[in-house]
Amino acid sequence: MIWVEILSRHRDVAARVGVAANEVCIGRAYDNDVVVDDPYVAARHLRVLRNDAGELVAEDLGSTNGTFLDGSRDRITRLVVDGKQSLRIGQTFLRVRARDYAVEPERIVPAERRALPTVLVVALAVMVLAFVLLRIWLAQTGEPRLSNYVTPLLSSGGLLLVWVGVWALLSRILAGRSHFLRNSLIALVGLLAALIYNEFARYAAFGLTWPAASNYEYAAGWSILAAACFLHLREISTKGLWLKGTIVAVILVLAIGVQTMQRSEAFSDLGRQNTTRLLLPPAFRAVPLRAPDAFFADVAGLKASIDADRRQARPGDAAR
Amino acid sequence: MTIAAVGCAAALAASGQLPGAEAVYASAPPRLLQIRTLLAGAGQQTSNGSAFLVSADGLAITNYHVVSQVVLEPNTYRLEYTAADGARGDVRLLGVDLPNDLAILRIDRQEAPYFTFDPAAIRGDLAKGERLYAMGNPLDLGFTIVEGTYNGLVEHSYNDRIHFTGALNPGMSGGPAVTADGKIAGVNVATRRGGQLVSFLVPARFADALLQEVRDRETTPDLRAEIGRQISQWRSALYKSFAAQGFRSTALGPYRGPEAAAPWLSCWAQTNAGAAPKPRFNMNSTSCASETSLFIAPDLTTGNIQINNYYVRTAELNQFQFATYLTQLSQARLLVGGPYRKWYMPERCHEDFVGGAAEPDRPSLRVLWCAQAYREFEGLYDVALIAVTQDDDKEALVSRLSLQAVGYEDAMTLGRRFLDAVRMSK
Repeated sequence: MIWVEILSRHRDVAARVGVAANEVCIGRAYDNDVVVDDPYVAARHLRVLRNDAGELVAEDLGSTNGTFLDGSRDRITRLVVDGKQSLRIGQTFLRVRARDYAVEPERIVPAERRALPTVLVVALAVMVLAFVLLRIWLAQTGEPRLSNYVTPLLSSGGLLLVWVGVWALLSRILAGRSHFLRNSLIALVGLLAALIYNEFARYAAFGLTWPAASNYEYAAGWSILAAACFLHLREISTKGLWLKGTIVAVILVLAIGVQTMQRSEAFSDLGRQNTTRLLLPPAFRAVPLRAPDAFFADVAGLKASIDADRRQARPGDAAR
Repeated sequence: MTIAAVGCAAALAASGQLPGAEAVYASAPPRLLQIRTLLAGAGQQTSNGSAFLVSADGLAITNYHVVSQVVLEPNTYRLEYTAADGARGDVRLLGVDLPNDLAILRIDRQEAPYFTFDPAAIRGDLAKGERLYAMGNPLDLGFTIVEGTYNGLVEHSYNDRIHFTGALNPGMSGGPAVTADGKIAGVNVATRRGGQLVSFLVPARFADALLQEVRDRETTPDLRAEIGRQISQWRSALYKSFAAQGFRSTALGPYRGPEAAAPWLSCWAQTNAGAAPKPRFNMNSTSCASETSLFIAPDLTTGNIQINNYYVRTAELNQFQFATYLTQLSQARLLVGGPYRKWYMPERCHEDFVGGAAEPDRPSLRVLWCAQAYREFEGLYDVALIAVTQDDDKEALVSRLSLQAVGYEDAMTLGRRFLDAVRMSK
């Protein structure tokens, strides 16, 4: 018994033909054991037979377009097939396996692990939701209105669903499985990371008087997005991770570069950084109070950089 | 002949028989000029104002703001005068007095009749209620005379200005305001927007002083550099006077916030108590603004001082919501005097927590200082200083000091005293 499996472009089995003989002929003509509807395949293209050692051997029957190993450009005329590698004739991929081909052991149904991602996704979603609601609540200073909560929740929730949906769809098309839960997990973790970073940056800008984390928040945001994209791509397939990583990194660098440029152009147009100076409750202060003398010494230092800016802008003035 | 006619007019005006305006109207036109600013290349007019002759050899007085474009960009603009008899000609700028908005011109005209100064006006003792006649060429409509009253000097103004009740219109700037006997009492300068018939004159003594200065001088200085010098002189005198008066503190809740002591700042108070829908916090604020704005160019007016105090207290908001509100209240907004790209350098800021060491009545503060330099004028900055008290999470005082066109050292001295004036009341 010899099994011939016709594979799809994604190398899934599209058709499987068992032939109860020691020799199988494959081609477009109807006198073959396995008939392939591919105009690039010869009428009689390939023969599979057993050699003296009992191994299966594929033999090109003198086709014009030839026979190749999947992924190789070297034409083959005769090859011992192991049942793992697929062959290409014309534009058709196929795999030949003997009856005694050793299949992988049965996989264990992941009963608990199936439940875990669901619980995790729900828990994370609730966390993100609570986080977002809390932030909206803490920013309310006017009349309480339901729409202040509902509108951002619905729009950000919708965006998240679309994002996860697109990745699941891509994964479904390219890898055959949507991995909806895992994609949701990645998106939620990314969102949570961005929210946590934002809180940290706010705290640092006020409590530590260290505004850098807040000023470069856009870079952190892009990095988190890039990391999420990389993980989504990894869900689709674990092949070519270096290539994917490189592409994502290049796009990340490009995005940060473009936004940095935009910000510096906006700064030179407006003369001020487009940043909000945040205040938090006084209890969040983590650095000691400074004496007025020390503060004004720093302020005096600021004059030097303001004047340096001016000298750079008008080189003629320095000489005067 | 002229003297007799004027004397006669004065006598008639005093007896209330013949309106002074007619006599003034009859003698004034040959002494008046219209001044146009033209694009040097195209010869098209970009703005116009009035001027008046003050000597037989062609010296005339107008407002600085009538000729500012020519002073700042002499290669782009030029000046031209038109006399009542239709004669036109070139105008040479001899001197400017930026703080008092005056300029001296010379035109090529000899033996022309001219105005003389009123001695009482120069001494500053004109009687309040005296009739004055302002003249000029409003809106390019032709020679016009406006009758009004002298109301003495404007209160709450740093620069001396005469309060004139009469309708000055654009184009009359730079024209004279004369007494009933035709002698200069002041120079038309501006109208208060939003007021009716509230106009301002520059007192005659400044025009007289500038005229003397120009006569004594042999060469004309580089006026553009002269302007830089005048601005820095003016602002150092302004801020010296401001610093001499210092800050007085005003009670706001448990705090004491700084307010200006100088009489030329007017202060107002506001509350949100009556607002609807009912706000979730109580706010009482005071704001003081100076009447010291200085016209430098058509797109740059600067020199203002502002002090704001906002006392906010809430029972309804939690401490985070309250901090969000304080964030909105304490953003660094410098007062803008003109378009940034043309006149200013980028703003730079410094932010920190500041506290007095041992004094118990000093609340700890979150302080933000932002400053930007002027592109054209060295040693001139706009500064904003904002202090937010940090001693309570449900009430706070936000105090803001905005200084335009200030020297950096002056600003730091004032800033220090400003922070020093933010206190807890016992």
